[in-house]
Amino acid sequence: VATKVDKKKTHDGRPLPDDRLRDMLHMLKLCRYFDERMEALYRQGRLPGAIYSGRGQEGTHVGVAFALEQRDSLFPTHRDLSAQLAKGLDLERVMAQFWGRVDGYLRGRDGNSHIGDWEGNRTFAVISHLPIAYPVACGAATAYQKAGDGRVAMAICGDGSTSNGRWHEALNWSAVHQLPVVWVVNNNQFAYSTPNTLEFRVPTIAERASAYGMPGVRVDGGDVLEVFEAARAAVTRARSGEGPTLIESVSLRWRGHAGHDPATYMPAEMLERYMAEKDPVKNFEAWMVTEGLVTEDDIGALEQRIAGEFDAGYEFAQASPFPEAADVTRGLWAEDGYWDAPAPRGGGTEAG
Amino acid sequence: MVAAKVEAGAAGHGAEPRGKRSDDGQATYLIAIAEALWEEMERDERVFLLGEDIGVYGGAFKVTEGFLDHFGANRVMDTPIAEETIVGVAVGAAMEGLRPVAEFQYADFMTSGFDEITTTLARYHYRTGVRLPVVLRAPSGGGVRASNFHSTNPEPWFAHTPGLKVVCPAFPSDAKGLLKSAVRDDNPVVYLEHKWIYRRIKEQVSEDPEHLIPLGSANVRREGTDVSVITYGAMVHKSLEAADNLAARGVSAEIVDLRSIVPLDEETVLTSIAKTSRALVVYESQRFLGVGAEVAAMIAEKAFEHLDAPVERLAPPNTPVPFSPPLEDAYLPQVTDIEAAIERVSAW
Repeated sequence: VATKVDKKKTHDGRPLPDDRLRDMLHMLKLCRYFDERMEALYRQGRLPGAIYSGRGQEGTHVGVAFALEQRDSLFPTHRDLSAQLAKGLDLERVMAQFWGRVDGYLRGRDGNSHIGDWEGNRTFAVISHLPIAYPVACGAATAYQKAGDGRVAMAICGDGSTSNGRWHEALNWSAVHQLPVVWVVNNNQFAYSTPNTLEFRVPTIAERASAYGMPGVRVDGGDVLEVFEAARAAVTRARSGEGPTLIESVSLRWRGHAGHDPATYMPAEMLERYMAEKDPVKNFEAWMVTEGLVTEDDIGALEQRIAGEFDAGYEFAQASPFPEAADVTRGLWAEDGYWDAPAPRGGGTEAG
Repeated sequence: MVAAKVEAGAAGHGAEPRGKRSDDGQATYLIAIAEALWEEMERDERVFLLGEDIGVYGGAFKVTEGFLDHFGANRVMDTPIAEETIVGVAVGAAMEGLRPVAEFQYADFMTSGFDEITTTLARYHYRTGVRLPVVLRAPSGGGVRASNFHSTNPEPWFAHTPGLKVVCPAFPSDAKGLLKSAVRDDNPVVYLEHKWIYRRIKEQVSEDPEHLIPLGSANVRREGTDVSVITYGAMVHKSLEAADNLAARGVSAEIVDLRSIVPLDEETVLTSIAKTSRALVVYESQRFLGVGAEVAAMIAEKAFEHLDAPVERLAPPNTPVPFSPPLEDAYLPQVTDIEAAIERVSAW
């Protein structure tokens, strides 16, 4: 039922040039480190708001984002911050967003991974009502189709979203109009506490694609290169006017739905098995060593670099001012000019 | 065999063509709306239409009759019956620089796209600074025996959602000028047409392609001295009829047509109250927590020193819109109800 992934290994038998593979390792390890450190800060009471860990799913996030060009658009969920980082978001500005500062991409108008950078990196600012961005991705793809400019829209959602009407509306619409769009389902097997068995009856999500008249592929989210190659094939297909593709990438959500959730409903042996066998970061790192693309020393240096990047982001966020309270009503209407000028910076760095 | 002529249904839709301007330049509300869309599509190639049955069929009310042939399927998109995705597509296309105008077949069906309207479309600019020049057109209102699911006035829902402009024209000339302004506006606009007015009201309408009525500007439709009647949509026509009848009995009512609910033109309302010292708000959405409640509260806060009488509201009860003629007539404010209310307020 699901189409087999077409592997095109052109770079000495590898799917990407060596430097891009090293970038991929950097991004995977950065996303893992970021996720772990932010959770620690949250548990220490040093991070306001909420966190939505994407740990264990970095293979899906980084794999699909690496298949996009900057001009392509990405419509993610709150779970997919790693995909936004891989698309190009700046770590310092991301961290300023988490602390509600004006240098965050949304100037404090929204928090945590409800982030986006449309002007720069073409990522949609995440909305909680999933998969509310799926229809919007159809709209961006409609614009690319009308312009004939070869751009592609990609949307990500979780397995839980596939139970919602909008998921079906959007897939159907995209197939009817043969839109240049790639649908990614990060099947981490739990919608908050609800397992796949209580979400849908069919054995796989990928096979639903045939009901809409598009190809569906199912890949191992623990293997970033398998994800990447499926995404690249789907992006190429969309770019050349052949229409949408559904990609189901299977992983496991290692942490709770959000920071407050201990996820006691998760079977322990299942989690242990995924962490031991399907860790996308560890698996890719081992492959890079085996292929001779990095040494153990390189990895140590990379880890030091990532810790430095995180610390710099943290310091940047703490030094960035809060938005000014007097601006609370500004920016609702286009004509009030709030978003046309740099954000006022008189809000100080102490929360009231 | 020649097909029998299909009469327009009670709700105003059917196979009846949109019609043309009369020889002396008068246009119906329906024609005025179609002209606004046509002119804006000619002016700006970023403007495109999407909606159910708007292309081949020309729209349930024939607003877009002939558009597909002239502008092509790339700019007049017949869509699946998927209201959330109609709005979502409009949002995504606007994010990429287009200026979509989406048609809902009836304003009632906006509930089927409510999440994308109120959660995505309305809030996106405040959250991100990305402009969404989207117009959502929808035939609203009752009085045409169209029953529960084809007679809704949803303007309070959208007026209560920060980030949406809400427009409710009552006259062909205003309908045209307001729609052209809505298409050119860089914010989301909910443009609520009134289906009772579509083919009933005709007047001279400008053919100037720059005929624009600014959003957020009310209009004193009839001057008077005793009572200000603040209203919009089909109720403007009922109120004007009531004012005519009362003039013969020596009561002078001023009729203020709000035209836009958001932004609300407070100044025109307050100027009228300063003159008459009495206010009646007549509206077609349900009375409780409705547009009239906001207008009445605004008058109480800002014009208390001018008032010689309590502000009265006249609006439908808090029920769905019923079908059977005696029920619908009891539900909607009638001309005689408006006359009685004006007399009550003027008696203070």
